[in-house]
Amino acid sequence: MRLQFVLAEIGSGLRRNLSMVVSVILVTFVSLTFVGAAGMLQLQINQMKGYWYDKVQVAIFLCSDGSTAAGCATGPATPEQQDNLGKLLESPAVAQYVNDFQFESKDDAYKHFKEQFSNSPIVDSVTPDQLPASFRINMKDPEKYQIISETFSSQAGVETVIDQRQLLERLFSVMNAASLVAVSVAGVMIVCAILLIATTIRLSAFSRRRETGIMRLVGASKVVIQLPFILEGVIAAVIGAALASATLWAVAHFFLGGYLSQQYPDTAFISAAQTLILAPALIGLGVLLAGVSSLLTLRRYLRV
Amino acid sequence: MIRFENVTKVYDQKARPALDSINLEIDRGEFAFLVGASGSGKSTFLRLVLKEDRASSGAVYVAGQNVANISSWRVPRLRRGIGVVFQDFRLLPQKTVFANVAFAMQVIGKSRSVIRDTVPEVLKTVGLEGKENRLPHELSGGEQQRVAIARAVVNRPGILLADEPTGNLDPTTSMGIMGVLDKINQNGTTVVMATHDDDIVNEMRKRVVELRNGVIIRDEAKALYTSMIPIVGQSRRLRDASGREPEPAAVPAAGTGADARAAGEGQL
Ligand SMILES: Nc1ncnc2c1ncn2[C@@H]1O[C@H](COP(=O)(O)OP(=O)(O)O)[C@@H](O)[C@H]1O
Ligand SMILES: [Mg+2]
Repeated sequence: MRLQFVLAEIGSGLRRNLSMVVSVILVTFVSLTFVGAAGMLQLQINQMKGYWYDKVQVAIFLCSDGSTAAGCATGPATPEQQDNLGKLLESPAVAQYVNDFQFESKDDAYKHFKEQFSNSPIVDSVTPDQLPASFRINMKDPEKYQIISETFSSQAGVETVIDQRQLLERLFSVMNAASLVAVSVAGVMIVCAILLIATTIRLSAFSRRRETGIMRLVGASKVVIQLPFILEGVIAAVIGAALASATLWAVAHFFLGGYLSQQYPDTAFISAAQTLILAPALIGLGVLLAGVSSLLTLRRYLRV
Repeated sequence: MIRFENVTKVYDQKARPALDSINLEIDRGEFAFLVGASGSGKSTFLRLVLKEDRASSGAVYVAGQNVANISSWRVPRLRRGIGVVFQDFRLLPQKTVFANVAFAMQVIGKSRSVIRDTVPEVLKTVGLEGKENRLPHELSGGEQQRVAIARAVVNRPGILLADEPTGNLDPTTSMGIMGVLDKINQNGTTVVMATHDDDIVNEMRKRVVELRNGVIIRDEAKALYTSMIPIVGQSRRLRDASGREPEPAAVPAAGTGADARAAGEGQL
């Protein structure tokens, strides 16, 4: 009976305050979408780390025609220099850090370049001569990049040593910054959501002060009096969180899974199913938001 | 059933206390009128019984329990034992007579079958048989107050507090309401009614506690609205918590009753 009563009260409260309830739903929807976007970026970063970290290599680029680096004063790398570098890589001092390595000639580089930018007009203006040959090294421990860099940078015929991992790190730091921005926007939106939920509950409590006054007088418990108001906010917030989860799923499914993975077939994008693990967190956060702000509001406006 | 021990209630430090060192005991099953002009402290007295407000000093006992010691989550239980009616009825306008009374049972978790059995019974007690499905605006003022009384007593409280229940009603209707309250009192409920309606008090011949400026100036059994016995000066208390009959007073306080009556015409 009491449960039925509480449910009926919630229903009438939601109907009576429909426009406010809709705005609570929208605000929680937007704020939790930003929270979820930050979460998705983090998932994507983890995904890419897992995918790339055992694939990334350290590349030793050899001097080519246009090289301006100090080590390239003598012009393009000679086959002799190239042999020396290969021997150095096989020497015990270096080999202990190296899993394996390949030599990528100018022609190989040109082939890879053409594959990578197949649908870009830039391909037509590049010739194999313009691309440097390189040694591609798979490290045993990618953290030991510094040793390779120190050993080879000063060798004759080496233009530069590049850690692909660092390129990735740069990408990740951009993504981290983006998720930080998303979190900040979410923070502001969450403050809005809390204030809006508090206002909604206050209005709701005001419009039903007759009922609650009588409930107090006849000795209804605090739970029976306050629960309908709290649940009203919680239900609206949960709907907002569900919408946010659905939006994130749609973005992952249609944008990442559809458009972006066609554009960048080599990149490991998170799957739509993975975004669903964010849903319980978002719903939990929504419940927490609504619960906390309604408790604070009711303490002031709905004394028992 | 209700006992006030040296109770003072101060709302505003700068103003005089709303109640000033009140000592009073109302026994189980008693019917007591609380009379006095507007602002004399009648409503404050009732609010303290309900623990709607806290006494500034002194102790209020309801059914033997000091209400100051009731924790906030047990206050609802205290209030289930006390019914209240007001001058303005306070019905829910969109609910029928039946639903208004049933509301008081629903919110404390009574089962539907108990509600179905009890509500018609109580409506019969207050003289509203056959009007279960009316809405409040389809009832006269007296009938609305009967609904409010039915709602106040449907959970069988030991105490019924009535704050000027006839304040909005004409004399004939008021007497009807008094009949209902008397009947409820006959069934064993302690009734405390704040009023400044002298005809009613004179008709009923019940105990009368008269307040003026927060002080009890008279407490008389089977009394009239105005005192038949001369009244002592305001500075002296007529009785303490244990006494029942007022002391015979030496100094007649001429015009006391007339003052109270004149002031009583004002609304709250
Ligand atoms: N909530 C309140 N805040 C401040 N003063 C109050 C409040 N309620 C009552 N008072 C004051 O207390 C005194 C007694 O009021 P009340 O108990 O309502 O008298 P009555 O019901 O006899 O008319 C009055 O002077 C009134 O102004
Ligand atoms: Mg009053």
